[in-house]
Amino acid sequence: MSASALLLVSLIAQSFEQRGFFENRALFYPQTGANDSAHVLGETFLRYEASYKFSSWLKLSGVIDARFDSHRQVEREARLDVSDRLLQRPALSLRRLSATLHKGKLTAEIGRQFIRWGKADILNPTDRFAPKDYLSVIDSDFLGVTAARATYESGGHTIDLVWQPFFTPSRSPLINQRWTVLPPEAQGIPIVDRGARYPGGSQYGARYNHIGAGYEFSLCFFDGFQNLPQFDGQVVVAPFGVAVERFYPRLRLYGADAAVPLKWFTVKSEAAYFTSSTLGAQEYAIFVIQLERQVKEFSFVGGYAGDVVTRDPANPFQFAPDRGFARSFVGRAGWTVDTNRSMALEAAVRASGSFLRYEYSQLFGQHWRATAGAAWIRGDAGDFLGQYHRNSYFSLALRYSF
Amino acid sequence: MSRLLLAALLFAPGIALAQDPRQIIEEVQRRQRSQSQRYEGTLEVIGAENRVATKRWIFERIGAFGESKAMLRFIAPAEVKGVGLLIVNHPDRSSDQWMWRPSIGRDQRIAMQDRSTRFFGTDFSFEDLEERDVNQFDFKLLGEENNAWKIESRPRKSSQYTHSVLWIKKDNYTLQRVEAFNKNGLVRAIEYRDYELVKNIWTARTTEVTDVARKSRTILKYDKLEYNLPMKDDQFTLQALRRAS
Repeated sequence: MSASALLLVSLIAQSFEQRGFFENRALFYPQTGANDSAHVLGETFLRYEASYKFSSWLKLSGVIDARFDSHRQVEREARLDVSDRLLQRPALSLRRLSATLHKGKLTAEIGRQFIRWGKADILNPTDRFAPKDYLSVIDSDFLGVTAARATYESGGHTIDLVWQPFFTPSRSPLINQRWTVLPPEAQGIPIVDRGARYPGGSQYGARYNHIGAGYEFSLCFFDGFQNLPQFDGQVVVAPFGVAVERFYPRLRLYGADAAVPLKWFTVKSEAAYFTSSTLGAQEYAIFVIQLERQVKEFSFVGGYAGDVVTRDPANPFQFAPDRGFARSFVGRAGWTVDTNRSMALEAAVRASGSFLRYEYSQLFGQHWRATAGAAWIRGDAGDFLGQYHRNSYFSLALRYSF
Repeated sequence: MSRLLLAALLFAPGIALAQDPRQIIEEVQRRQRSQSQRYEGTLEVIGAENRVATKRWIFERIGAFGESKAMLRFIAPAEVKGVGLLIVNHPDRSSDQWMWRPSIGRDQRIAMQDRSTRFFGTDFSFEDLEERDVNQFDFKLLGEENNAWKIESRPRKSSQYTHSVLWIKKDNYTLQRVEAFNKNGLVRAIEYRDYELVKNIWTARTTEVTDVARKSRTILKYDKLEYNLPMKDDQFTLQALRRAS
């Protein structure tokens, strides 16, 4: 190989980065669900991330997910999904494909990407460009969105502008599985899923963030659509049942967040007010206040998430996990036992419904990690968390990172 | 992390007047000064049962002591590849720190109230990695040992340590060893070895810290270490942390 070819290979290697993991996970549910008799669920998951830095101002990043499971939460078709609009998880999906451009104080990212807003850790009401996969409600993952984002950062001031031309919904639980719990009066009635009406317009957002001496805060605005669905229900005669169709109301958000490190705690707070021009949609505010502290190898985050409804058309057909976790005391404790081992406990507690999750995780060598966990859910059928009281589970995961 | 940071005691410029412990410390700092620094660190944590865990990162720093900014990006083990840490040091208060985890896709401010917390499960505490002004300490010359000054340093502000003892080599003003104590006795011992002259700065290529109570130790080796590279402020911001992920 010539010297110039060697130099070229060396330069490419320096600019190319990759990482990923392969994970096998098993979930054991001691109880069956009303519409789901399975006790064991197996999932296999591969994530591959790669990026290439063409120059100091241009970088291309991509992430691909591949999945298979035993419970048909994952689609059984071998095609690459780029929209994330399927009811099931796609077997093969393009999670990210974006170009990041950087010049001086300006950063722009164009393409499928992740846009995360907010400072709180237990709930992020201002995080509007971050739809989630809620197929297992209490164990959600973020979905990418197709957008253009420009960020200008000067000193302690940052302005973030986002335009999202294509809507990406959050993925709600499948109707024939345990994370959809129908009210007792609806049980036994066949439900026909008629899919979704997706909004066609763009979404916009702007955020200003300021880092000062001993504090930081941000203000944000969002105009677009709720990524969590409401449902239209219609009785059909032949065959008899209820046909449901998802739709996504218009949404406008005014939000703020702040973080202040104090002597004993770091205080983080986040609040958003949601309005809508769609008939039948609620208007409400969600707020979070949390305290955070590390004590040696222990970390503690605890706080309260609340909501205030200002317009309630009493539409019972909606899926709203963000508000479902509100009116709760929420906390998380972690213990880094050593460089290889850690434990975590998280909880959401209120009078009518609670959940508690524990995880123990251990790294073996440089690549393998095993994680064992348990989640316990209790409460009343009328409560967002309590309705899942038959879904407590044990989990075991083995991950190979590369 | 940075050997300069690890020195954890070194601070405003000055001219050495032998036998005055404050001026010896100031001279150590003056000889270590650089506008920027970059290295690849390999860190081995050797637990009480001789289990070894290895981490690797790329470290970059810009600016003067007490007001510097640093960016640390993990490159190994595989599961933490892409995790980044931005540290903004202040002369008058604890540093601001943000962590970037690719799995959650956003920065998170780290609560830094307890500086005795161990750094990512290693034997370094966050306090060991801080940059602090020389005026935050009282110094006393205890004597000389093996051609090195032995100096006691007592913090004026709150610290996990009651005092530390430093050994500084007389011929080149390099830090050889630090022993840090609390009211119960020795807590940590930090040794600096394998000194090399890099761009006219005497540089320890290996730092070893021993946590006496846990009976574990951490060895940090510095590869590809360079000083005074052209770096810009916009490489040390939250957006830079995001771009680097």
